[in-house]
Amino acid sequence: MDHLVQLILNGLFVGSFYALVALGYSMVYGIIKLLNFAHGDIYMLGAFAGFAILTFGGGAFAGGGSLLTLVIVMIMAMALTGSAGLVLERVAYRPLRGAPRLSVLITAVGASFALEYGIALWAGPNPKVYAVQLESSTLNFLGARITINQIVMMLIAVALMVGLDLLINKSRSGRAMRAISQDPKACLFMGINVDSVIARTFFIGSALAGAAGVMAGAYYGKIDFLMGFLIGLKAFTAAVIGGIGNVRGAVLGGVVLGLLESFGTAFLGSEWRDVFAFGFLILFLTVKPTGLLGEKVTERV
Amino acid sequence: MTQLAAAAALVLGLSACGGGGLTADSGGEADDSGPIKLGMLTPTSGSSAAIGPYMKNGAQLAIDEINEKGGVDGRQLELIVEDEACDPKTAAAGASKLVTEGITASVGGYCSSATLPTLSIFDKAGIPMLIPAANSNDLVDQKLPNVFLVNGTGSQQAERAVEEIKAEGSKSVALIDDNTSYSKDITTKTAESIEADGSTKVVNKQSITAGESDYSAAVTSAVKAKPDFVYWTGYYQEGGLLIKQFREAGYDGKIMVADGSVDKQLIEIAGQDNAQGVLATMTQTPETIGDQAWVDNYKKKFNADPGPYSTQSYDAVRIAAEAIKNAKSTKGEDITKALEAIDGFEVFSGPLKFTPEHTLSAGGFEILVVKDDKLVLKK
Repeated sequence: MDHLVQLILNGLFVGSFYALVALGYSMVYGIIKLLNFAHGDIYMLGAFAGFAILTFGGGAFAGGGSLLTLVIVMIMAMALTGSAGLVLERVAYRPLRGAPRLSVLITAVGASFALEYGIALWAGPNPKVYAVQLESSTLNFLGARITINQIVMMLIAVALMVGLDLLINKSRSGRAMRAISQDPKACLFMGINVDSVIARTFFIGSALAGAAGVMAGAYYGKIDFLMGFLIGLKAFTAAVIGGIGNVRGAVLGGVVLGLLESFGTAFLGSEWRDVFAFGFLILFLTVKPTGLLGEKVTERV
Repeated sequence: MTQLAAAAALVLGLSACGGGGLTADSGGEADDSGPIKLGMLTPTSGSSAAIGPYMKNGAQLAIDEINEKGGVDGRQLELIVEDEACDPKTAAAGASKLVTEGITASVGGYCSSATLPTLSIFDKAGIPMLIPAANSNDLVDQKLPNVFLVNGTGSQQAERAVEEIKAEGSKSVALIDDNTSYSKDITTKTAESIEADGSTKVVNKQSITAGESDYSAAVTSAVKAKPDFVYWTGYYQEGGLLIKQFREAGYDGKIMVADGSVDKQLIEIAGQDNAQGVLATMTQTPETIGDQAWVDNYKKKFNADPGPYSTQSYDAVRIAAEAIKNAKSTKGEDITKALEAIDGFEVFSGPLKFTPEHTLSAGGFEILVVKDDKLVLKK
């Protein structure tokens, strides 16, 4: 029983990271049908941005380790990675807006490597250790262990997701995003500034990935320039499981993938973790390519 | 006659591959004048890129020392470094490049999985290899005449690990590897010999994927098996995370890591409190044998601390130079014979003599322990 609860907690915790990163994947795909393979590296960039802020602003955060420090650093890092998303979109994707999909996909892969090895040049190839690492007490929950940090991180993740959901479904800007995902040309005729809405989408998606990066840095303690690669693929898997293009689906997919991995490894062994995760990717792509929640099919009249 | 033709075709093919290599010094046949070239494959990019400079500097230090003393038979030594990236494809390309550069001996090799495909490339070109870091048994199991390990083998490391596990009085052991040739080799050998006398059991054995952050699945499954000893045989990045996550999951038994995890970053990543008392199986290093003069020399020259395999790389170059000197030749076969004949040459792990399998006759593995922010020799 306690083991089962532990597996669920592990799955939910990892799943909330996957979900945060998957959101950006899904938003960008939903709006311009681009698989932004550099998205995992934006997550890595967020972790390094947080690391740089903590290192250079070391004095201001002295005696840190508090949650408030983390939240401030996270907001700054989100602004940074959001801007990086804007630059990426402007430099790498917008010039190719009319190009065949394959060209854009290859550009995304190139952007991914550019980010990875750019950071490796700047910060060195060695892993870095976060200056602020959260220490906290452990709670016993039905015989399983969970730290207060884990709970707080999951709450932050949930808060960010709820905020995004409200933004998309209740605000003007969100309505514009939804409109563009249905028909960008018509939106252009209706006087919507399509470019700026797409840029905004990149900003929000990248900021969320950046937040996840800072959280990972503060929680796991270690960051390195290749950390975005696997989580990028996992987030992509999560987005597909949930239904790529669907924002709530991305969250659901993240949590489902986290749980699948957690249970899969418990029964099959750790070496099966990634086989299991990517096996599900293939399964979903063949059996139910629209994912659990299904992409909204464009209505044509 | 046909054999000769085939050999000629091979040599021609090799030199043609080199691009502009249609000179006398085609693949493997080193030049008789000019510097003696030593090649080194080491990761300078990829996940293990941190190790590259340690190995490169260690080798360069030995080369500079030898050159200052007049070189080998009046010829200077020169180091050529190619990236191995801990990736078999990159390593194979690097090895071919070194062959066309006309190196006399190879003094590199870090990741066993990346070093494996380079063995036959160097063998075909008749170039002897002194592998300073990679130590999987797979390397010598190929029984290639040109392969020598300057580091202890996986079985020697496993032997030392089992000794320590028994000495700690452990009854139940969890073994975790990262599915690479090097790491898997040690856990397999450890598992094989651990239950021999029936006093100790392997209660959990699993492989994780390197490069992730969350190992809670592996940790949960290991902790559930209630081991009193955990042995991790992969590299330090994952090692640090595992130590941290084991401690956070409430595990308070012994943890030991293998030589791939011996780096001060292991302690930084794990957190100093979590890492206290963590053991490690490691070959001798200047820090552990207290050769401060060597360390100072290195620091002065490279303005950085020596790291894992700086000493083994330093030794690999010195052994290569000794063999070339004894052989009075730069031909691969002659050097190999000279290497086999070496007896009592002083290296960090003690007087050197290779076994018939071309491994060190004494593994030289020691147990280190984390004390404060350092790994020190366990007394």
